[in-house]
Amino acid sequence: MRHHYWEWPIATYLFLGGLGGGIFALTAILQFFVFPGITMVSEVLAWPCFLAIVFCGLGCVLLVGELGQPLVFYRAFIKNTSVICWGARVLSVCMIFGFIWFLSYIPWDWFSGIAGFLAIFRDFCLALAGLGGACVVLYTGIFLSSLKAHSFWATPALPVLFTISALSTACACITISIGWWPAELTLNTLIVAEVIHELLHEIDVILVVCELVVLLVMVLSFLGAGNVTANKVAHRWVNGSWAALFWVGMIGLGLVLPEILYVFAGGTLASSVVAPVLVLAGGCLLRFLVVYSDERAPLPGEDLFYEKLPDNKAPFIHKWTYGKNIF
Amino acid sequence: MTRYVMVIDQRRCIGCRSCTVACRTWNDLPLDIVYNPVLTEGVQGEWPNVRRNWLPTLCMHCEKPACVPCCPTGASRKDDDGTVWIKYDQCMACKACVNACPYGMRQQSHLRPRLHQYIQKCTFCRDKRQMDPSAQPYCVLTCHQKARVFGDLDDPNSEVSKLINGAETFRLMEDLGTGPQIYFIPDLGGTAQ
Repeated sequence: MRHHYWEWPIATYLFLGGLGGGIFALTAILQFFVFPGITMVSEVLAWPCFLAIVFCGLGCVLLVGELGQPLVFYRAFIKNTSVICWGARVLSVCMIFGFIWFLSYIPWDWFSGIAGFLAIFRDFCLALAGLGGACVVLYTGIFLSSLKAHSFWATPALPVLFTISALSTACACITISIGWWPAELTLNTLIVAEVIHELLHEIDVILVVCELVVLLVMVLSFLGAGNVTANKVAHRWVNGSWAALFWVGMIGLGLVLPEILYVFAGGTLASSVVAPVLVLAGGCLLRFLVVYSDERAPLPGEDLFYEKLPDNKAPFIHKWTYGKNIF
Repeated sequence: MTRYVMVIDQRRCIGCRSCTVACRTWNDLPLDIVYNPVLTEGVQGEWPNVRRNWLPTLCMHCEKPACVPCCPTGASRKDDDGTVWIKYDQCMACKACVNACPYGMRQQSHLRPRLHQYIQKCTFCRDKRQMDPSAQPYCVLTCHQKARVFGDLDDPNSEVSKLINGAETFRLMEDLGTGPQIYFIPDLGGTAQ
């Protein structure tokens, strides 16, 4: 039966969190491992990282707004055994150190003193933000897959799928936004931006294929061998009411078309703008499809019981007042 | 050591839902929340061999509850006596526990004020038992068929121990490994003693 408690803000948060975390993780990898010592790499990636902070911040706002008690959101940091708690911690680390790192690149004159001071900690901040970002990318999938009441979520394939998707969307976002302010427009920055653009372009070609394979393996294995609940969801995806969304939206427009554009339309607007936008839309759609596939195995007769309950919007239900009905 | 469990005798339950009403009344539950729904799959079989089983449910107070470790605030707790409960003033209603519970026994009322919502569930009437340790949950007290029996499983002389040792019982979704502490005596067509 549908066990529907998490709405669109959670799906959007998972997408934005994965995207933001992925951008920071890729930036740290590029700066420390792929192009070590070339400081201009961080400079051209500063704007994508600023976007990552905005995405993560927006995700947090949505997440807090979804709480039943938004004003006490700080309680989320308390308990070590909770995946959500670790997610909140790594997201905070990623955003705080990422923001400090970004501030060190702001070129405004009146800000130069602070930026100069913060520049001392650039590597340290980027390392922590990148590590936090990598953890956020992993966490978004682990978050759902740890809830074993939902058969479609409780699979090791889901964290893998979300990780690949987060990195893929991060590649797409970086390729669109690389080299903008605060990077100075010089020949050197243009060359560095182009080199990174090409590299991420090739990485995304591989990631999109991997995502396609993992997604199909996950859904089709549930279709063939999953338990009753997961099987029901898989049928809805493959040949049920969500088949158009899955095949046309997710597989077709979100993965196959961008892959074709990446491979066969290299160097054109279709490859450098349209394909990344489609990848981003596909990543968002994936989170929505997964979050809304929250079926739980029903107890015997449970469906029948809840069908008979009155609608929550019925007027007599709203007459109830807390604390005034004690027998 | 005390280990509270409940035994529900399906042979005795007639589906009157007194337990549901008693629970709702005494706990002053919002109208969109039910702690202990009495379920049925309807009439089964073909005439004249027809039967209707009732499945009174509630929080399973699991031995290894999925809802406790996933709570980021520490509001979801488990007492030494096995009672799983929520410290309401620590809950922020993130709904992680609601999604973690395989039995769907945690709920959020949307009738409370928007900024003061929290997750609710059956606590084996913990507040009542704190005042009087020998007290029984309201659903048990109100069941005129004595289909619900509550007690300490670690006490070999308790009624629940005798029932569990003396009859064939089952627990819901045992394969999930949560160790539910609600035992059901199935109605296999015989008559309750």
